[in-house]
Parts: sequence; C-alpha cells; structure tokens
Amino acid sequence: MAEESTQHYLRSSDVNDKLVSSIDNGIIILDAELKIHYYNKWLEIHTSIKEVDILGKSIGDVFSNINIKTLQRKISTALRMGTPTFYTASTSKYLIPIAINQLKVSDFEHMRQDVSIIPFDVEKKLIALIITDQTNMINTHNLLEANIEIVKELNNELVKERETIDERVLLVKINNKNTITDVSHAYLELFGYDKNDILEEDYFDREKLYLQGELKDELLFHMQEQKVFKFEKITTDSKGKEFWLLNTIVPEYDINAQHIGFIIFAENITSAKLIQEHQEKLLANSRTAAMGEMISMIAHQWRQPLSVINTIIATLKIKKELDMLDNETIDESYTKIEKTVAYLSETIDDFRNFFKQNKELKLITIDALFEKSTHLLKSEMEANDIEYILEIDKDIEIATYQNELVQSIINLLKNSVDAFKENPHENQKITVKGYELSTHVTIEIIDNAGGINEEIISKIFEPYFSTKSKNGTGLGLYVCKTIIEDHLKGKITIRSQDIETKILIELPKKLHVQKEI
Amino acid sequence: MNPITLTEDEKDVLQELMNVAYGNATAVVAEMLDAFATLSIPNIKVMETSALLEEFQSLKGSSYFFSTQAFVGEFSGESAFFIDNESAQNLSTHLELESEDDLDDAILELTNVLTSSLTTRLAQEMDTEVRFSLPSISKVPLGEIANNQTFKEYSQVIVIDTQLIFEDQKINGEIFILTKDGSIEWLKNRLNIILEALM
Repeated sequence: MAEESTQHYLRSSDVNDKLVSSIDNGIIILDAELKIHYYNKWLEIHTSIKEVDILGKSIGDVFSNINIKTLQRKISTALRMGTPTFYTASTSKYLIPIAINQLKVSDFEHMRQDVSIIPFDVEKKLIALIITDQTNMINTHNLLEANIEIVKELNNELVKERETIDERVLLVKINNKNTITDVSHAYLELFGYDKNDILEEDYFDREKLYLQGELKDELLFHMQEQKVFKFEKITTDSKGKEFWLLNTIVPEYDINAQHIGFIIFAENITSAKLIQEHQEKLLANSRTAAMGEMISMIAHQWRQPLSVINTIIATLKIKKELDMLDNETIDESYTKIEKTVAYLSETIDDFRNFFKQNKELKLITIDALFEKSTHLLKSEMEANDIEYILEIDKDIEIATYQNELVQSIINLLKNSVDAFKENPHENQKITVKGYELSTHVTIEIIDNAGGINEEIISKIFEPYFSTKSKNGTGLGLYVCKTIIEDHLKGKITIRSQDIETKILIELPKKLHVQKEI
Repeated sequence: MNPITLTEDEKDVLQELMNVAYGNATAVVAEMLDAFATLSIPNIKVMETSALLEEFQSLKGSSYFFSTQAFVGEFSGESAFFIDNESAQNLSTHLELESEDDLDDAILELTNVLTSSLTTRLAQEMDTEVRFSLPSISKVPLGEIANNQTFKEYSQVIVIDTQLIFEDQKINGEIFILTKDGSIEWLKNRLNIILEALM
C-alpha cells in the first residue's frame, strides 16, 4: 500500500514541472504559427527574458536571427511524421542566441546548440523545442579537427618522405627470420629486379655468393645483438653485373618497441671502389719506381764499404806475399770486414723494411723517424755538399704507420736532393723542423734548391706530373699526398718563395684506425 | 559465425513493409521540399561490410555528402545517406539556401526524414519502438569511406537501397540501413512471426 501511495503521490505531484524547470536544457513550446506557449526557467536565466513577457508572441519576433522558413519546414515535418526533427550544433550553430563568456571556448560568441523539435500535441499542432548546450562538444570537435589537419599534414609529409626514400634510397627490409619483406623502388631499378623476384626470399640465401665466412659471422653476431653494423660487399644485378655496396644494417622495432627485423640501407660505392683500385695500382707503380731509386741509393751506399773490404783484402794479399801477415793483422782485418758486412746487411734490412707494408700503428719519435729516413740519403747529401739541419723538438711522439711515413719523407727529401743536383749552387741547405700542437704534429721540410714556379705549384700533387728533366715518374708527390692525407689522415701543403720551398706536413698525434673490412 | 541470410519469403515481407514505409517517407519528403518526389522501390539485401564498401565505390561522382543517424531499440543500427555533390547543390538551389551550413542542415533533415519514416514505420509494423539520435554529417571523398569507423563496426549489414528522385530537379540520394548481427537476427524472427500470422 505504501508503495502504491508513493507512486500515486509522484504521479499527482507536479514532477514534470519541477524537472522541466531544473534540467539543463532549454524548452520552448510553439504552435504551428510559431507562437510561444511555454518558455522554461533555463531559457529565462540564459536569455534574461521572462516567460510572461513573451508568451503568445511569435518566436521570430523575439529572436530575429531565426530563419522562419526553415523552422516552419522542420516543425511541419515533425508533425507530419510524428517523430522529431533536428537542428545540429555542427551545421546550424545555434537557434536561440545565448552569449557565452567562458575563457576556454572564447572562439564562440554564442552557445552552440543541438535542437530537437518534438511533436508535443499533434492534434493541437504543438511542438516542443529541446535545446542542449553543445558548446564544449563543438569546441572539442573543432580542436580535434584542427589537430586532425595537422596530423594529416604530417602524414602527407611522411608519405612524401617515404616516397622519396623509396625512389632514392637503396633499401631492403628483412624480418626476424631473415626473409625479405620489402625492397625500395630505387633498389629494384638499379639492379633491374622485379619486386616479386626478391620478396619472401631468404636474405642470406640471395647473398650467399658474396656474404660468407668471417663477414657473415660478424653480420650475424651484430644482428643477434641488435646492433648497427656497416659492411662492404659485392652484389650482382639481374644480368650478373657486379656492384660494390656499402651496407648499413639497422634493427627495426614496431610501435611497442618489439624487435621485428632489420633495415639494410645500401650505398652504391662501385665508382669509389674503381677509383680506389686505380689508386692502389698507382701506388704499386710508385712503389716499384721508389724501389728503383732505393736500389741506386743502396748502390751508392755500398760503394764505400765494398771498397773498404776490397782494400782490406788487397792489404791482406800484399802482406801475405811479403810474408808480413801476422795474426794480429788478420784478426783486425776480420773484425773490420765483419763490421762492414754487418753495415751492408743493415742497409739491406732497412731497405726491406721500408717496402714492407705494415698494418700496425707504431709509436715513434719524430727525430728517430728522420734518422731512419736519412740513413740512406746522408751519403748522397754529403757527396753533393748539401747541409742537413734538424731542428726537431725532442721527444715528440707520434703513433702512425711508420714505414709509409718514412717512405713519404724519403721521397720528399730525395726530391730536394735531386733539385740541388739539377741546380747546384753554394750554401745548399735542407732544414727539417718539427713541433707539437695539441692534437697534431707539424713537420716542415725547407730547402733552398731554386723554388717552384707559381704556375705549376698547384699541379704539383697531381699524378704523372714531374718537374724533373729525367727519371721522373710524376708519382712521387702524388703518392706522398695519398699516403699522408688518405692513409695517415694528415695534411700536406707546399709553398715556394724565391729559391726556397717549404713543405708542411700536419699529422694527428694518434691515428684513429677505422676497422679494416 | 555463419552469415545470416534472409529467405525469399522473409525478403518479400520486408519488401512489403518497406514499400509501406517508403510510401509514407515519399509523402513527407515531398511535403518538406514542396516538390513532387518519388522513391524508387527499395532494393533489400543482406551483405558483408566488404561487399557494401565495394558498392559504395561504384557510386559515381568524385565527392559525396555522407550523413549518418543512429537509431536505438530492439531493432537498432545506423542509417547512412549518400548524396553526390551535384545533387546537393541542386537541393540547395531548390530550397533557396544561403550557405553551406544551411545545405548541410537540409541534407541532415533529409537523412532524418528518410531514417525516421523508414524505421518508425518498420518498427510499428513489427510491434516495437525506436528512438533517434541527432544525425551527423561529413563530406568525404569516396576513397576514404573504407577507412570510416562506422562501417568497421558492422560485420553484416541489411542494405535497403533506394533512390530519391525529384521530377524537376536532378537530386539523387541513396540510403543504407546498417544493423549489427543481433538486430538482423531479431528482424528475421519478427519477419517470421508476421509470416506465420499471414499463413
């Protein structure tokens, strides 16, 4: 019974009125002529218009912004169908102008509204307009739209970049099972393959001809460790033509940082490799030429000790014939010959060492370096009356490929000696200076052998360029430059004024060696 | 899950119900637009979403106005209304609309009228009720429709495809009623109840 009376009480109370006046919606009841029959509290507060002041008035007279034709159409459609029609905030913005002054939605002057037009009493042709504030929703929607635009733009940029990469970068993607999953257009074009020829193939199977042994092991090790790895290797196009590629393999991760495979970026270094091969040939040629020069130097070097041995033997012979040969003379002669032969042997060792390609960095002082370099040249300098002055700060150490540097220094000093031989004069001097800077060591080789013409000085390091009237291969200075700049990561420059020529060599104190591939 | 299909009998009943509903809708649209309009006899199919997307692709024209409206109840789903750019502009001229927003509003009204009159009548015939939410509109290039989340929600759809044709103006629109599997089953049951009553 209690329940029934409660229900009865609720039904008989003015619950609708109470609710309608307190809900967060605007409600207007209109007839077919658009006259206002009801205007709820919410609207009174939001528009500062009292219901009593507008009852019976046409809504179009109260709110001049309303398009009467459209409203009438919507009302008659709702009454005709018996179901609601609508205004939506996204297209119609608002029906009743309600000013808003919230900071966060300051883009709008008026509240954005969804309006449902509900048939209220079909017989009396009354409809209810239910107005819902959608300002925040529309504001959020607009913000979202703006952000979507930004995302779209970014996406477009990404797509463009992806296309550029596809067109220009040689790229192969593989999954964790080493199956090729994608390959760039640039790659297909360079090697003349169809995508279907490559996709789904095993990467190592495809490359087995040129990817084996230590290189393969090292690559697999880096892949297992998910580390970036660079390697050079040959590959072939669809017609079997060989290309040199510098590959960089980079692990690929998905959005959740899960490792999904690898991307192999490749750079076509075939041209660079050809140049390198050409350079190597040139270097080999120059080494042969230098060897010839060395042999002539050794011959020069040996002449004097050989004549010493000759003299000792001749003396021994004469003394024997005159019966004057005693044990003491024999012992003395042996010792002398032994010493001289040791000297000859040492000269050969030096010669051999200079032409041994050493691949290990050695720590050496600059003055020891020049001591070694001039060992074979000293007698030639003396014979040609050339003064050799060393002004090297003591204990300057350098870690480098010693033999290659010695070969270059001999070459440079030999050039000076040859220049003096072609243009002899008084007061001939070769001065070598060496000093230390924070990361580099600087060596100056200065001679006064006549200088170099301004017109040719810029070409002096080019291959097959020679100023020598005879026996010049034109490779000496080119090889020096290649060794000092490419192998030893230094710099060589030449300057000349009047009869003086100065060669300046800068070398890193410690050569940072790139891993040989 | 096996796709639900409608038998020929079920389709016939639905077709009849639709014809009644569309007769009603035609009259409302004609009145609303103050022009003589006809709706072509609706073509009813139950199809997979992927097939529906192909159907959309076959619609001609570069860009479409695409509006949707949800309806809820025992029979629930969403309607999708397509009107091509040219038809939309003709509609705008006919209604003497002043702005793009007014045109959007008119298209939404058309969507609402078609959805409401169709589903309300259908619901009445099947002894149930439906309620409608506000329709929403977007102007999308056809190519992007396949990305639209709306369609991904449905594995199968009942497609009730009809053309709205005006006598004087070239205005063509197509409406599709999309319902989820549950509603299709509910509809199938209701159609069978009606069928049994008819026997």
